[in-house]
Amino acid sequence: MSTHSLTPTEIAPPDPPPPATPKRRSRRPGRHLAYWLIAPALTFMVLVHLIPSAAGIALSFKNLNTFTFSQLFGAPWTGLKNYDAILFDSANPLHSGFVDAARNTVIYTAATVTGTLAGGLGIALLLARQFPGRRTVRTLMLAPYVVPSFVVAVLWGFMWQSDSGIINKILVDYTGILHDRPTWLLGHNSLLAIIIPSIWRGIPLAMLIFLAGLETMPRELHEAAAIDGAGPWRRFRYITLPLLRPLIAVQLLFGVIYSTYQFTIPYVMLGSNPGSDADLIMTLIVRQSFSNNLIGFGAAASTLLMLVMLIWVAVWFRAFRRDLEAS
Amino acid sequence: MTPRRKKHLTNWGLNALTYAVLIVMLSPILWLIASSLQTRGQLASGDYDLLHPTVSAFKQMWESVDFGKYLTNSLIICTAAALLATAFAASAGYALARLPFRGQKAFGVGVVGTQLVPGSMFLLPVFLGFIWLKQNTPIHLFDTHIGMILIYTAFFTPVAIWFMRYFFLAIPPELEEAAMVDGCTRFGAFWRIVLPSAAPGLVATFVYAFLLAWDELLFVTALTANRAETIPVGIHNFIGNYSEEYAQLMAAGVVSTIPVMLAFFATQRWLVQGLTAGAVKG
Repeated sequence: MSTHSLTPTEIAPPDPPPPATPKRRSRRPGRHLAYWLIAPALTFMVLVHLIPSAAGIALSFKNLNTFTFSQLFGAPWTGLKNYDAILFDSANPLHSGFVDAARNTVIYTAATVTGTLAGGLGIALLLARQFPGRRTVRTLMLAPYVVPSFVVAVLWGFMWQSDSGIINKILVDYTGILHDRPTWLLGHNSLLAIIIPSIWRGIPLAMLIFLAGLETMPRELHEAAAIDGAGPWRRFRYITLPLLRPLIAVQLLFGVIYSTYQFTIPYVMLGSNPGSDADLIMTLIVRQSFSNNLIGFGAAASTLLMLVMLIWVAVWFRAFRRDLEAS
Repeated sequence: MTPRRKKHLTNWGLNALTYAVLIVMLSPILWLIASSLQTRGQLASGDYDLLHPTVSAFKQMWESVDFGKYLTNSLIICTAAALLATAFAASAGYALARLPFRGQKAFGVGVVGTQLVPGSMFLLPVFLGFIWLKQNTPIHLFDTHIGMILIYTAFFTPVAIWFMRYFFLAIPPELEEAAMVDGCTRFGAFWRIVLPSAAPGLVATFVYAFLLAWDELLFVTALTANRAETIPVGIHNFIGNYSEEYAQLMAAGVVSTIPVMLAFFATQRWLVQGLTAGAVKG
């Protein structure tokens, strides 16, 4: 916030422009420079993001099934057929596969984002206090965030192993919490098996952001409330939480997008075909597009996914508009 | 119990809880290291012997995975892409932070908007484009370092722009105003005064782009075949062929985590600023 207040002095014209003189260019120094400065980034974004995205939308209206190049440009237009097959054609196996994956993606995203934010906030509250070794603990707590996702998937895939995995060893052999050894990477449990490592890796960043928020929070409010007799829970509920709302909002926005598009952890841990219990939209799209060469299907499903994200942003914007203006 | 004593006890309990949470959070990483120092048989049977570590899995992994190749590819591709992305982001981020221009808002929205597009959306056309170029032109991007560098540069430039914009906003504008009063051009002030002051930001942006590129699996799987594959593909291929070799997998995991861990913790102070600024300051 303080950084923003620095800019107006800079944007303001250095001296009042003399009227009716043709020196308009000097009023906005660096207008052309700005275009030169954004040119490289803009070129790359147009070439790799914009044009391919437009091409992807175009592909979704084509019947591009078997992968050959002669067919890439010659493939017939099929209008909304791909979308129809995905969304409404209940006799089509692609439809039921999509419905399963959509359901799993919603569960995965909701659980991962909720778990990450709750865990991050809880740990941030613990670390915002004064205690011995505070600096070291805060640094060490970041470590899971730096483990690459593919390593996270390999590591947890090993820990979840039914016979030799450490998790069953702890739950069954050492503590006896469970009696028979669950298989974590197959069936119902497999969605949980990718959710927990995703939360684990996400928590440090959420914690970092909440810690920054807690640290800039004015202490006087809490002190005044404490004097008025408000206990820790009421102070958290009515002071801390409302003040953290903008931070929760931003993390919700990007957390949902990031989790929905997460590919590495499910793909490495469960493989390209994890079954209807844990298939996600992203693994489904990649499998159908690259293994089964159903490129039209992949493009249509990607377009639908992007539309859902646009709707999510619109909903988010309505819900948190006040927080955006406040900050 | 006196209130003061009660407070003391609560505080003590919370400290204990904090350390317990830290241990829980770190235990998977400790387990990664511990199990990489065991033999294949020990991991399969569950007879761990943590007091007698061995580096045999590291040696086997290096040979059977051809880890040297993947590591070299990852280092080349991620370093080059992170450098380019940082350079582009430094210039574009400065324009966003300091120079009002027509279309500034649209550009800013576009930068954030790139994050809304699912990777699979532009992966297919990029893949088809790479194949088409290979078959019809002398430009070879499929399965080359250059191809992956260009893709990752584009991929991580938007995030890098947001990082750099924050670091430029944190530099007082009086600095470049003074330089311009002394006769510098706007670009001269940016080049000679602002960029050096933003050095920590440049390092943080580079490291962040590097971390992201290091972790990328989807694009490199689709756009490489053999020559330009990076560590994530190498490990994924290895799982496909030797899924039971957990000691080697854990060793590969340790080796592929070390470079990014080192880079992260060496630049942690500035990285943390960049990571939190986006969320805290909008």
